[in-house]
Amino acid sequence: MIDGVEGKQPIAYPKTDAPPLQMLKDVAARLLKDEATEEKGDRARMASFIGAMAIADLVKTTLGPKGMDKILQSTGRGRNVTVTNDGATILKSLHIDNPAAKVLVVLDISKVQDDEVGDGTTSVVVLAGELLREAEKLVNQKIHPMTIIAGYRMAAECARNALLLKAKDNKQDPDKFKSDLMKIAMTTLSSKILSQDKEHFAKLAVDAVLRLKGSTNLESIQIIKKAGGSLKDSFLDEGFVLDKKIGIGQPKRIENAKILVANTAMDTDKVKIYGARVRVDSMAKVAEIEGAEKEKMKQKVQKIIAHGINCFVNRQLIYNFPEELFADAGILAIEHADFDGIERLALVTGGEIASTFDNPESVKLGHCKLIEEIMIGEDKLIHFSGVEMGQACTVVLRGASSHVLDEAERSLHDALCVLSQTVNDSRVLLGGGWPEMVMAKEVDELARKTPGKKSHAIEAFSRSLQAIPTIIADNAGLDSAELISQLRAEHHKDTTSAGINIISGGVGDMDKLGVSESFKVKQAVLLSATEAAEMILRVDEIITCAPRKREDRM
Amino acid sequence: MAAVAAAAAPRGSSSKTESYVDTKRRDDVRQANILAARAVADAVRTSLGPKGMDKMIASANGEVIITNDGATILNKMEVLQPAAKMLVDLSRSQDAAAGDGTTTVVVLAGSLLRCSLSLLSAGVHPTAVSDALHRLALRTVDILHGMAIPLELSDRDALIKSAATSLNSKVVSQYSSLLAPLAVDAVLSVVDPAHPDLVDLRDVKIVKKLGGTVDDTELVKGLVFDKKVSHSAGGPSRVENAKIAVIQFQISPPKTDIEQSIVVSDYTQMDRILREERNYILGMVKKIKATGCNVLLIQKSILRDAVTDLSLHYLAKAKILVIKDVERDEIEFVTKTLNCLPIANIEHFREEKLGFANCVEEVSVGDGKIVKITGIKDMGRTTTVLVRGSNQLVLDEAERSLHDALCVVRCLVNKRFLIAGGGAPEIEMSRQLGAWAKELQGMESYCIKEFAEALEVIPYTLAENAGLNPIAIVTELRNRHAQGEINTGINVRKGQITNILEENVVQPLLVSTSAITLATECVRMILKIDDIITVR
Repeated sequence: MIDGVEGKQPIAYPKTDAPPLQMLKDVAARLLKDEATEEKGDRARMASFIGAMAIADLVKTTLGPKGMDKILQSTGRGRNVTVTNDGATILKSLHIDNPAAKVLVVLDISKVQDDEVGDGTTSVVVLAGELLREAEKLVNQKIHPMTIIAGYRMAAECARNALLLKAKDNKQDPDKFKSDLMKIAMTTLSSKILSQDKEHFAKLAVDAVLRLKGSTNLESIQIIKKAGGSLKDSFLDEGFVLDKKIGIGQPKRIENAKILVANTAMDTDKVKIYGARVRVDSMAKVAEIEGAEKEKMKQKVQKIIAHGINCFVNRQLIYNFPEELFADAGILAIEHADFDGIERLALVTGGEIASTFDNPESVKLGHCKLIEEIMIGEDKLIHFSGVEMGQACTVVLRGASSHVLDEAERSLHDALCVLSQTVNDSRVLLGGGWPEMVMAKEVDELARKTPGKKSHAIEAFSRSLQAIPTIIADNAGLDSAELISQLRAEHHKDTTSAGINIISGGVGDMDKLGVSESFKVKQAVLLSATEAAEMILRVDEIITCAPRKREDRM
Repeated sequence: MAAVAAAAAPRGSSSKTESYVDTKRRDDVRQANILAARAVADAVRTSLGPKGMDKMIASANGEVIITNDGATILNKMEVLQPAAKMLVDLSRSQDAAAGDGTTTVVVLAGSLLRCSLSLLSAGVHPTAVSDALHRLALRTVDILHGMAIPLELSDRDALIKSAATSLNSKVVSQYSSLLAPLAVDAVLSVVDPAHPDLVDLRDVKIVKKLGGTVDDTELVKGLVFDKKVSHSAGGPSRVENAKIAVIQFQISPPKTDIEQSIVVSDYTQMDRILREERNYILGMVKKIKATGCNVLLIQKSILRDAVTDLSLHYLAKAKILVIKDVERDEIEFVTKTLNCLPIANIEHFREEKLGFANCVEEVSVGDGKIVKITGIKDMGRTTTVLVRGSNQLVLDEAERSLHDALCVVRCLVNKRFLIAGGGAPEIEMSRQLGAWAKELQGMESYCIKEFAEALEVIPYTLAENAGLNPIAIVTELRNRHAQGEINTGINVRKGQITNILEENVVQPLLVSTSAITLATECVRMILKIDDIITVR
């Protein structure tokens, strides 16, 4: 915004005798740079509403277990194609040439959601979109945006309290807690590509998260994707898997391994001054230097061996010569382990990454019970089991194609995020539109009690909440109007666990069907959507800055 | 994105009432996807089956490929439409999973898509179609298992039959009697008794050499290098009782990693330097000779020449056969085969690191020469196939076909079941699914009935490609299957319907099951897409 205002001319009245009105207009015209535009009042608000709703409509169809997928076609080189149903992925990759810059806010909010709890990105955007749709109607009825915001705030607070009251906490009962986790994982996965094998993956995700013992550090869960086989062949393995090869002639299996993780040059140690050269006067001396270089490398290898290790993992290349030396010493050497790989390996084996080897006592070695070569599909990988950090585990995903694998990874990541959050905050809710209906009912009550124009906004909030089950039903090809009215009637009773049963296409008992959601996710959806809507509602002017001039514009 | 937003915006603001949702755009996207994917499927349809036609592919750089392998055709096609791309990926997955049936899987997917389109236009919700497909896939796998015939690895004939079925649809079909047993032997020889279910096809090396005919293709128990022996200095070209060393160092004047220069101030020094160079190399050669080594395989070096004329001369004098420029990737295969260790430094040149073979010889084939190492002592579980062909096109196609045949045998090793070929499984699936659909209720029943018919595309296309009357053939097949003859299929050679098992047309179960599961998975994915978004 600053960009646009800082004009080249100072904002001062020009010394002319023109009438003041004309002068003001001139100034206003010159206030902004060329090409910078300004939209005000209703127009601005409409523009931002429409922008935000367009985004919401775009991802709306991906909501729910029968949501549709989108193809993301890259315009860059290679024209890569991604098929996804993950709201965050879709929103992240969109370029939004926004008529209303504030649409980005929605995007930002959804990103926050992804980092914090990992799931519910689509719900946030859709709920925010619905709130704005309702707000638009209210604005058309000449209700001031601030009144709407006040009403929304009250409604959100009330909805949150309603959820708090209904949330269940089974932390005390480990068995029940585990079954809660299973249910949550199944619910999250049912809207993803993994839905057909959701039991398998839910179990996999729950096992992985329970290994973490309460930490939310998903780093120690490694996900390896290998094409081939079917999704059902995916498995969880304790320990760590490195997608590398063992050097030629070296042991393929080591028990009680002592691992040195290093990042050092194992080709040759060079004098790193540009232009350094040696002058000699005979061939024999060249040979001597070559011999000296070899000797130096040999010493380095000896030093490394002196650490008392039997496995050496290097981030850089290991040349043939040192490789042979390691083979002679019976040490398993792995070259070219990528950066991510060695950092994780150092983490899980409890070692440190070393780059000098003069003080063996100060280097922290990693340990593990067994290193061996395993075969997954057509590829050989190296498996480290019985590692120091007991939490560590590896999920090997198998699938027909890279599309499937990528999407499976995203889905599994979502499930892992939700589960790890749930382990910390163990309150759970039912799913299938149940929380929305509970909230809507409470909010409706509130609307009736509240005097003044605010009550219109509160009512609108309740309608927006109900839009979520409506969309879920629509996506599944069900008669949404009929279903929602049934659901509402059901919820008018005091206690109910009714939600939409997508499979049978009717109203069902969510408790019996085992559809659960994490309280934390729902709360985050509610609050961030309300905040986003509020922020957009507050907009009454859009100033588009003049684009920066570039010489080589494409 | 601007376009999408603009298109979506009016819809967003105008739909004040939620009762009517306009789905025109989504249907359009879906229809466009299906049409594009079907276009790809139609392109390879005519290459299905033993009488399928070949495609000539001219690439941008003027290279020409003639092939009948679905995966290869699709890989070379530069499709841009995202859904069409998914079909290309589908064929690639089938190639990875089973190695054969790459055309079948695409044709199946195309047919299922055609059928889905008619279901969609009849008003069925895409997720309902998709769910029906999933159930169908599970059911078909059961049906196929029901038809399968268990197989023992010792049953070499059965293995050969299925490899021959795969080869029969290729350009090299007339050589199937030669290539099929070859493929079987190659795979069986690399099966490790400790892990009988795992076959690493990288242990089978295929060496192509122009000249001769496909008839001359042979399986070599040992190693073959598509290289000449370096005997510019007159070294031996045949060595018996060979002691082979694989070296990763260079026999050439020393070179340091630090830049160096030798300063010569007068001509007497020149003499000395030349002498020193000779001595240096001679010293190395002597050390090599001292271990009794008489065959050297030298790894290619990017830093400097692996050998020089001078070192070749000394090596020739020492009666050592030299093969230079062995790629680094090959070293593992070579050492595994020769049961030796690579040597990275002259100081480590010891006898225990050598490999032994009865005979290393240079053989001239066609217009070139190759080096064969045979009679290797304690040979690792690897094998080499030397493929010959009269021109490059035939040679390449022979290699691809052989690869498919190897995959077929590997499938059988992994999953020891056979199934009849010639369209018999598809007709049987179609029949049983049709019967099953009658037991089901609602939308699912309707979808499955349609899809059951869609599966008939395989026998239909087989017949069509063979110049038979497809309708007559398919209806007769249905009839025979209804009478319980589940192994009747199209005998393309005789142009009639026979018990296909008696004709030895069999294929691995894995190829069929993976084709149907992958095809349905892909179709379901395409059905679930309702928008194409252009992103960065």
